[in-house]
Amino acid sequence: MNNSVKFALLVVVSLVVCSNPIAQLKGIQSEQLLPKDAVTVFSINNISLLQKIAMDDLVNYEFMSEVHQELFDGSTSGKTLKDAGLDFNQRLNLFYGKTFTHELTGFTFGVSDQKALFEVFDDFQELQSTIPGLKIYGTFFNHLLIKNNNAILIRIEPTMDYIDEVTDSIWYARGNETPFEFFDSAPQDDQILNEQTFEDDTNTNFYPEASENPSIKNYYELRDSVQAVLQQEELTRVIDELFVDNINLHNTDARFAAQLTHNAEGVFYLDNARNLDKSQGLWYFQTFLPNLYKDLQELYAGNVILGDLFLRDNQIDFEVEALYGPSLGSIYAQMNDARFDSNVLKYIPASSPAYFTYNINLEQAYEQAYQILLPLLSDEKNAQIAMNVLTLELLNEFIDKEALFDTYKGSMFGAFNGVKKIKTKKVVFSYDEETFAYQEQETEADADMPIFTLGFSTARADIPEMVLKHLARLSSRVQHFENYWRINNAILDAAPLYILNTGKLLIFTNDEELARLHSSGYGNLALTKKQSKLARKSGSMYGSVDITKTLDRFPTEVLTPRNAEIVNSLKRKSGHLELTSSETTEAHTTFKLSYRFESDESTGKHLLDLVNSLYLIYTLNP
Amino acid sequence: MKYLLLSILLGLVFSCVEISDDLTLNNDGSGTLRYKINLSASKIKVNSILALDSIDGKPVPSKSQISSKINEFVRILDAQAGISNVLVEENYTDYIFKFSCDFTSVKNLQEGIKLSLAQISNNKWSQPSESSWLSWDGNTLVRTIPSYVTQQIKNYKIDNEDLLKEGIYTSIARFQRPVLRFENKLGTLSKNQMAVMVRTNTFDLKANQHLLDNTIVLAPR
Repeated sequence: MNNSVKFALLVVVSLVVCSNPIAQLKGIQSEQLLPKDAVTVFSINNISLLQKIAMDDLVNYEFMSEVHQELFDGSTSGKTLKDAGLDFNQRLNLFYGKTFTHELTGFTFGVSDQKALFEVFDDFQELQSTIPGLKIYGTFFNHLLIKNNNAILIRIEPTMDYIDEVTDSIWYARGNETPFEFFDSAPQDDQILNEQTFEDDTNTNFYPEASENPSIKNYYELRDSVQAVLQQEELTRVIDELFVDNINLHNTDARFAAQLTHNAEGVFYLDNARNLDKSQGLWYFQTFLPNLYKDLQELYAGNVILGDLFLRDNQIDFEVEALYGPSLGSIYAQMNDARFDSNVLKYIPASSPAYFTYNINLEQAYEQAYQILLPLLSDEKNAQIAMNVLTLELLNEFIDKEALFDTYKGSMFGAFNGVKKIKTKKVVFSYDEETFAYQEQETEADADMPIFTLGFSTARADIPEMVLKHLARLSSRVQHFENYWRINNAILDAAPLYILNTGKLLIFTNDEELARLHSSGYGNLALTKKQSKLARKSGSMYGSVDITKTLDRFPTEVLTPRNAEIVNSLKRKSGHLELTSSETTEAHTTFKLSYRFESDESTGKHLLDLVNSLYLIYTLNP
Repeated sequence: MKYLLLSILLGLVFSCVEISDDLTLNNDGSGTLRYKINLSASKIKVNSILALDSIDGKPVPSKSQISSKINEFVRILDAQAGISNVLVEENYTDYIFKFSCDFTSVKNLQEGIKLSLAQISNNKWSQPSESSWLSWDGNTLVRTIPSYVTQQIKNYKIDNEDLLKEGIYTSIARFQRPVLRFENKLGTLSKNQMAVMVRTNTFDLKANQHLLDNTIVLAPR
């Protein structure tokens, strides 16, 4: 089972391992052990689910064996969460963090029974602690720090770049030659006739030696030592920060602290600005374009994503608030300052099991981004960037932006309309009776095809029309009919694509019925007034997925047997998903994802049953 | 590459595949093998698979990779003793693949295919342990379906049995003189009595991989 699935299981279980939220507000609690360098936190408010699901029932789910294995390093057979000595009156906080040189992962939690805790965490050895009241335990990878019945389990890894940098520095300072020169003298590929012989050759000096003296470390041994020391140094720094200086995420980021006061079952925190700041992938910017990198940092300053997870009766809600700094916020605000084009709703049938609408003002977003980003780029003294800026400015001057942004106005919709039989062709082999001589015959065939529709509003219907007319002159596959265009074999080389250019909308679909019979919209078969209102009132985006209907109509024949099994399993147990968003201001946008289901069972049990059935499919079909 | 690329596609769409193996055997034991795979009934599924990077963690080959592997097989087989005129037609519009080669004896044919498959792939199924799926003594032909084909069908998992019943496997043996008798009850004799054809669907073949086995005895010369 991969790490992401394990992490997901831990999160779900953490959600369910809950009790009274009021208790969490008392005294120093587990959330105050979160390192300030944590950029992503999922904090579980110990809610009332334990009142609905007995711990005995929870630990009996099949997937819990995986969780126990992961939590307790697989060393303690037969022990479960129940026996782990955790304080279920406290939050459980899972975190990931990074600095320029290290990555930190782990979770913080309350401890009710240390004896029980170490019966399951029995790999941990007590280490020396110089801080009064703090006990430190360690394994090869992890450290467990406990003070006043609050604990943090943490794994710290220096980044590979940092390890290399320090190792190289020490290696060369000791007067060693490059450890990699053996590559130059290594035989070339075409000289190695037999790989086995090459590997068995004991004279091959594959590993560089620092010295003939065996007591002196070679490069790789030095590198391992550097890694261990850097790990220990960072651990000491984090321990001092948390337990001596009393600095943690809770008291350094007021937004996170405020989020924890929400009466939600789970809280999510992602500091996108720090995430960008510490991103290893941006080393090119950091190194070669430091000014631009600094500007980007300023642009992203204040960009934080905060979320609340609510488990309600027959409903799970995930409410997310994206906070922006002034510059980035102004771009988003302009982008989402768009009038919703109700025309798109006419082309979504009420029976559609899954659809979305998306509404942005591209022209305003472009103008705002141009005003903010171009000066940043122009300040950079770099030849390539200067050329790009020049190109951008020339395009900005020469291109008819009005025509461009009138062609794609920004209101967009998509719908999945189930599966229909489409006509296709197949070749069959036939044999005559006299000699069994072989022939090929082309015959009509039916194939199941998921039906999708995608469309957007336009004020310049003449431009796509012009393109289609020219394409029709170039290829017989492009044909014009009274109300629509058809491009044969455009989808998977087998099915036609229909294009409807209504004058206000440009619609792409593989639904022949829509093209032939509903080119002016579905009329009274379109979305109901209630459905339309929900989409219209939502901010920049709205999505609705009836999971049961969608999966019922999805052709499992096009899936691999394993994926088909997963889909069939979900068909028996799923509900309705809805995504809404608020108006976007310069400061924030709010998104809400709601999952509703019809059942007499509790929300927690529904979620756990769903996770368990997916787990069983995964583990039974490795 | 650790597997024969085409096997991925075959494995995923066996439900709608049409396979034809057509053996022409001369009196002197030489002959021609024609092997055809028709995936045209599954071309939407094949195209949707080819549009993916991977399925269940296994990489999906591109058309050019498939073509390259097929051509590598042709090149290797053409160099084997007793094998000549190796030809392949690849139709990536309807996904029909046709292979043919001439051989001087069924022994050379089997040995040549075995060595060629082993060279282009490390995958077990393409390294057939049994080398004899054809035998010919001048009057009697004993033929089975090679295990590296039947194994693929046997391993194929599918919930929808009806779909598997749509797949067809046709096995034809042609001769230069009339057929006296044959053992397979599913077999039919051509009107000119010089060819025997056995057909079944992939569902039945999955249940019994020896369904197309046949022993054909020819009239004396």
